[in-house]
This record gives sequence, C-alpha cells and structure tokens, in this order.
Amino acid sequence: MSVVEVLFLLLGLAALGSALLVVSTKNMVHAALWLVVTLASIAGIYLLLAAEFVAWVQVLIYVGAVVVLLLFALMLTRAPTGPQPDTTVARVLPAAAVAVLVAALLATTVVAGFTGVRLDLDGAVVGSAATTGETIFEKWVLPFEVLSVLLLAALVGAIVLSRLRTDDTEDRGRPREQRDAQEVRR
Amino acid sequence: MPLWWPLLLASLLFAIGVYGVLVRRNAVLVLMGVELMLNAVNINLVAFDAHLRDVLHGGQTFALFIIVIAAAEVGLALAIVLLVFRSHGHIDVDRLRGLADRDPPTEPSGGDGVTAHSALTGPGRTR
Amino acid sequence: MSALLLGLVLLPFGSAALSLLVGHRAEVAVKGLSVGASGLGLVLAGVVAVPQLGDAAATGQVYASTSAAGPPIELSMYVDQLSAVMLLLAHTVSFLVQVYSLGYLAADPRYPSYTALVALFTGAMTVVVTADDLWLLLVGWELMGACSYFLIAHHWELPEAREGAVKAFLMTRTADLGLLFAIILLGIRFDSYRISTIMAAISDGGFVRDELWLPAMLLGAAVIGKSAQFPLHTWLPDAMPGPTPISALIHAATMVAAGVFLVARTYPLFLSAPAALNLLAGVAALTMLLGALYALLSEDLKRVLAWSTVSQLAYMFGALAVGAYSAGILHLLAHGAFKALLFLAAGSVVHAVGSTSMSSMGGLREKLPDTFITMTVGFGALAGIAPLVGFFTKDAVIGASLDAATAGRLIWPWLAWVLFASTVLTALVTVAYCLRAWLRVFFGQVASSAEPAPTSEPAPPAEPVDEDQQPPVLVTEVHESPWAMRGPLYLLAVPTTVGGLAVAYPHLLLGSEREHHLLHPELAVVMTLLIASAAAVTIWAGRRSTGRATRRPFVPHPPVDRIYEVGLVRPVRRLALLVRAGDRDVIDAYAVGAGASARGLGWVLRLSQNGNVQGYLMVVVVGAAALAVAAGVMA
Repeated sequence: MSVVEVLFLLLGLAALGSALLVVSTKNMVHAALWLVVTLASIAGIYLLLAAEFVAWVQVLIYVGAVVVLLLFALMLTRAPTGPQPDTTVARVLPAAAVAVLVAALLATTVVAGFTGVRLDLDGAVVGSAATTGETIFEKWVLPFEVLSVLLLAALVGAIVLSRLRTDDTEDRGRPREQRDAQEVRR
Repeated sequence: MPLWWPLLLASLLFAIGVYGVLVRRNAVLVLMGVELMLNAVNINLVAFDAHLRDVLHGGQTFALFIIVIAAAEVGLALAIVLLVFRSHGHIDVDRLRGLADRDPPTEPSGGDGVTAHSALTGPGRTR
Repeated sequence: MSALLLGLVLLPFGSAALSLLVGHRAEVAVKGLSVGASGLGLVLAGVVAVPQLGDAAATGQVYASTSAAGPPIELSMYVDQLSAVMLLLAHTVSFLVQVYSLGYLAADPRYPSYTALVALFTGAMTVVVTADDLWLLLVGWELMGACSYFLIAHHWELPEAREGAVKAFLMTRTADLGLLFAIILLGIRFDSYRISTIMAAISDGGFVRDELWLPAMLLGAAVIGKSAQFPLHTWLPDAMPGPTPISALIHAATMVAAGVFLVARTYPLFLSAPAALNLLAGVAALTMLLGALYALLSEDLKRVLAWSTVSQLAYMFGALAVGAYSAGILHLLAHGAFKALLFLAAGSVVHAVGSTSMSSMGGLREKLPDTFITMTVGFGALAGIAPLVGFFTKDAVIGASLDAATAGRLIWPWLAWVLFASTVLTALVTVAYCLRAWLRVFFGQVASSAEPAPTSEPAPPAEPVDEDQQPPVLVTEVHESPWAMRGPLYLLAVPTTVGGLAVAYPHLLLGSEREHHLLHPELAVVMTLLIASAAAVTIWAGRRSTGRATRRPFVPHPPVDRIYEVGLVRPVRRLALLVRAGDRDVIDAYAVGAGASARGLGWVLRLSQNGNVQGYLMVVVVGAAALAVAAGVMA
C-alpha cells in the first residue's frame, strides 16, 4: 500500500466522518466548522488526484468564502450558538432510509462497475495553475464566459431579492434590514 | 489505488448530503447538505480526469465551474434565506408551508402560509 | 326560352328576399315590389307557358348537374302542357292574392314578411311544377311546407294559429317521407333522377303490372299528406287561422294542388302500378264524402270552404285513379279558379263582418253587392250548376268513374262502383252545403253582432273610419271592401263562368295525344235533376229549421285526431318525459358521479400537498432511485 493510498484513506475517512457530523450535530455553528474540515479533506484528496489548482480553489472559495457566507447567514438569522434539541425534523428514520438507499444504489453501481480498474497516478499531468489556465483559456473559453454571465445574473438576482420589502417589516426596523441586505450582497 | 475508492467516497458523501437536506430543519444547514452533494460530484469529476488522462482536462475544468456555480448558488440562497427570515422571523423549512393546498382562509389575517405567499410572489409590492 | 324559364323561377325568390330586406323601412315600396314582381311573374309565366299549351312539344333544359358518384342530381327544368297550365294557375292566383292582400292586410304590421312568404310560396310551387329532377322537386315541395307553416302561423299570438301551423307541418312532413323514399327507390331502379327519363322508361313498357308498386305507394302516401286526404285530412281545416288570402293560395293554386300535380306528373308510374291507384281511389271515395259532410255541419264559413277543398281534391284523385287524366287536371284548374274566388270573397265578407262565424252573418246581400254576385258564381261552380265551370268538370269526373265501374280495367270494379256512388252522393251533399252557406251568409235576417261568435281567424283591422265623416254606427260598419279586393273577385269570376269551354276543347290546353272523354250529356241531365232536387230538399229543410233553435245533427266523426292523440302524441310525450328523466337521473348521474369521484380523489391527493418541501424532495429522491433501478434492471 503506497503512501498515496494511505493518505487517501485517511483523508477520505476524515471527510466522511466530518460530513456525518455536519448533518448530525446539534450545534449549528459547529456544523459549519465541521463543514470546513470536510471541504479541507476533499481539497487534500484533490491534491492526491493530481488536481492542484482545483484544490487551491476549493480552499479559497469553499473553505474561505462559502463557509464564511454560511456563518454570516447563521448569525444574521440569529441562530443560537449552543446545542439545540430541534435541529432535525421528526422524520429522521425515513430520511435515513432514503439516504441509505441512495448510498447503496450508488455504491453498488460504482463498485460493480469499476472493480479491478486501477487509477494510475504516476504519469498523470498535474493540474497546476499553468496547465489549468492554458486549458481554460484555450479550450474552454466560451463556457468560461457563459459562466461569467451566470455569475452576473446571480449577483443581480441577489440584489433584487435583498431589496424586496414586505409589509410586515415595519415593526422590525428598516435601516437595519437594509444594512443586512447590503452585507449579503457583498 | 483502485478507481472505486474515490468513487465510493463520492457516493457516500452524496448520500450524507441527501440525508442532511432531508432532515435538517434550519435552511442554512440544508444548504450545507447541498454543498456536500456538490463536492461529491466534484470528487467524481477529478477522479475520472486523473484516470482518463484527459488532454482537455475536462474533469478539472468542470470541477472548477461547479465550484463557481456553487458559490453563486450560495449567494442567491442566502439572499432568499434572509428574505424569508425578514418576513417570517424564522428559517425553519418544515414550518414554511406556503405551498400547501389548503382551503382559502376565511379571514385575511393568515398564518405563515399567507404571509409567505404575499412576500415571495409579490414583486408588485416592491417599492 | 331557357333564360326566361330560369328567370321565372328565380323572380319570386328575389322578390321575397328584397321584400324582407326592405321590410318596414319602406312599406309602400314593398307593396309595389311584391305586386309588381308577381305581375311580372304572371307575364313571364304566360310567355313561357302559353307556347307549351296544346300540341307543342315539351321543352327541357339542364342548367347544372352534379358529377359525383351515382346518378347525377341536376338543376333541370321541364315544361310540358301540365307544367304550363299549373304555371298559369299558380301565378294567376298568386298575382290576384297579392293585389287582394293590399286591401285585406292594409294595416297589418307583418305585411312585409307576409308578402315575402307569399312570393316564396309561389316560387316553390314554380320549382315543383317545372322541376325535371326529383330532388329539385323535393326541394320545392318541402319549401312549400315550410312556407305554409309560416303563413298559417301569421297570427302567431293566437294559440290555435300556432297549433294549426304545427299540425300542418308535422302531418305534411310525415307524409313527405314517402316522397323521399320514393325518390331513392326510383333513383336506384332507373339510375337517374330525371323525371322525364324515368317516365319515358315506364311508358315504354317492359314492366310487369304492379312491379313498381312500392314507389307508387310511397308517392301516394306523400300526396295524401300534402293534399289533405284521409287519414291525414285534419290539418287543412285546422289551418284556417291563417289569413284568408293565404287559404286561397294554399287551397287553389299551390300546396294542395301540388299533390294532384305530382300524381299527374308521375302518372305513367301510377298507371303501371294499379295497386297505388286502388289506394288512391279508396282514399278519394272516403274523403270526398267525409269532407262534404263536415262542410255541411260546419258553422264557420272558412271551415266550410276548407272541407269543400278536401272533398274536391278527392274528386281529382278519384278521376286520376280511374285513368281520367284530363278530367282530373281540368277539375284541378276549375277548382283553382272557383276556390280562389270563394276564399277571396269569403275574405271580403270576413273583412266586412269581422268574424268568420256564419252565425254573425246574414242578410249581407244588399250591403255587399259585388261580393254577393261573385260569391254566388263561386258557390254555383262548386255545386255544379249548369253553365258554370264546376258543372262540366265534375260531370267529367263522375262520368269517368262510371266508365271505370262499367268497363274499366285499372282498378277493382267494386271499388270503382263505390267511387261512382261516392261522387254522386258527394255532389248532392255539395249542393246542400253550398246552398246552406250561401243562404246563411247573404239571406235571412241581419245577425246581431253583439254576441262574440267563435271565430277561426282574427278579424282583419277594418279600414280606419273617419271620425268626422260618420259616427261609427253598427249598421254602417258592414261595408263593401275596397277595389283592391273586389277587382280580383271579378277577374276570377270570368274563368269560373266561361271555363266550361275548356272542357269542350281540352286538346287546346292539354294536347290531343291524350284521350279526352269529358262530355257525358245524359249523365249531365240526370245530375242536374238530382242537384235540383237536392237544392229543393235543402231549402225545405232550411225553411223548417228557421224559427227553431238550430239543432246540430249528430254525425259520428271518425276519430282520426283522437287516434293520433292516443297513438302518437301521448306516447311521444311520455317518451319525452322518460328521456328527460333518463337524462336527469342516469346521464347526469354519470357526470355528477365523475365529478364527485374526481373531487374525492383530489381530496385524498390533497393530503399529500402539505407544503413540506423536504417531504416532496424525499419522494423525488425515492422516485429517481426507483427509476435508476428500473433502468438498470431493464438494461
């Protein structure tokens, strides 16, 4: 068993364990923090799979921006910081059964489909910033530009949504809400 | 390393994400489940990119695109969550029943469903 | 010639459409238009028809033809001697009726539609008598039925007018089914719908006796309905609530005459199928006596005339049934003349008196001198008084039936004897009822019009009485009609008086290729004696009954209407009730049940629509997994 394999197993177990904690912990802020662990482990797995640039982007955007956004959201919605008794709905068992069903289905499919196929990482081209940049701006320019338009649309949508006013917001103080909306937009 | 290791990992992460989406009550936590599912897909893409030695690096590029899309999605979703919080005072998904098919209320002052309806479908109420 | 013919057919339709279009906006224009158009029609009919009289060869013209599978349906016209005389009759009467209506319906608010329908009626009759295609004939035939419906219901605010119209329409339409089926049968048999072709084929022979009995019987049934013969005779008297000029038009020239015309047109078919002739003879023998008896008992002047029409039509059918073609046609023409005269004169009387009941008339001889003279001529012709036209034609019919009874081969001899007896007896009863009506209307004491007598037609609004000139006293209300009404009376009196010449020279009208045996001098003498004695008996009976309350003799009425009521109307009503109940309780139950079950199912399904997004999502995930499994299993 090579070093890569050992590292993969360790990182994989960390990702799975922290992911389970993300969906099961009773403390909401802890869930966000456990999500950081999962995403970081996945970034490590990207590194192992010769996707260097994707791994750094994962760290930057996911671990950095997305988790911070989620934490902001938790705070802006005045989520309690301590453990809560009611973070899950009443239908835990049916939901778990569905999740197990999905896991069994997918796992059976991939394991049965790729048994005996080796992933040879020795001669793989490492997806460094240079190669990835060349690839994106030579081969994938059009999807890249389309994606930029999508981002712009998402930005506009977020602004429009945050400027929506409802009738029952008067009693909660509008200036504060407007400030919150600007925070979200940023 | 057998190819099915990362694939199995992705499958399990996806199932965990499904579980999180299905059971979490807080909308932000539901979003975390969605993030897990997206990452599971990304693992698949990167693993197959490495396995197939793709000249175009399609797997890694798509993983990047998905990360970008996920960021946009989180931004929009959080705007919606904040709006819901402003209009309802909470973001518990199982208490937002505005989509339920009920008899029309006899009195105009309704519960959650009515106000959510008026808040989320009323661009005419924007100012 | 052909363009003239087409113009003659199209003229009444155009006039009708124009009258309806102009309507109330310009009543004077409508009056001028309708009278002018019918006058032009009369001139055209004369131009077209007069060359065809006598020994001229018939002319035909095909204007259009279908090219679909099967025998072609053609827009084709055919004018022979028969069509010519019918054209002249129809257009003359129509023109006179239009002129007469100027006075009779001067103040009627529905004059435009009335005159348009009269024109349409004339046009339909023109189509019928000139059509060479059976389907074209059917079109005109049905159009006449529709027009008669509308015209009988002219006073549609009266329930009896509506009922009479519906009754006429239902009875004639039912009988018309016979014509429809006969057309189909003839088309299949001869592979053509052209009347002249079919009749030529039948006349050429090659058919076994009674081989074509079915279409002939069906035609006979249609004719019985259209010409109001037993057992469908009851619609004609009930059609009396229509305006009196319409009665003249229907009875003299168009509607009922079309039945006789159809038999004459398809006469070779009937000659080849004596079974149908037997049917006609039996029906005629029964109907003529029945109609005459009813006429004798009726209290209503218009009903007397209506029943007499039924009776006289039976004479024509009797003549045709025994093979006396020219006797039947000449009687039709004579009847057209004197019955139009009688109805128009009766209209004049009604116009003056304001009622159709004979109990409100009497002593009108001095007050209505012109009407008295012309109506006397008409009654004389109807009764068959010696120099008038009815005498000759009726004598021809009776003689023909006697010939058939002694030496005829067409119908059963015993039936011919029955027919002969019936014609003689009916002639006597005819004298009686004519004399009775004549005496009651024009002689005797003036009836007090204080009591409102039952009347079959609402009195036409009398002419506006000038308030300054004369105070409206009861006696001065009875006045002679305007000249627009009296003129047609005198015009019609001419052929009624001298029409007997046609019997002396029938080949001038109908050509000399047919055998005319019309004059029976010894029979005429006997009949005149009989008629005189019948008149004497009537006058004697009338003298005896004066001073006493008139006692209505009881005559058993054949319960025809009662049978229709019990056998047809009530079952149809019950069936309608049943159908309505079925519609409400069975069909609607299905619809309501379907709706209720859908609602119930919706109520159940609605329970799942609880608004819980995560619940929905769970279902989606399970469904997607199930689809994936299914796809894998199937692959």
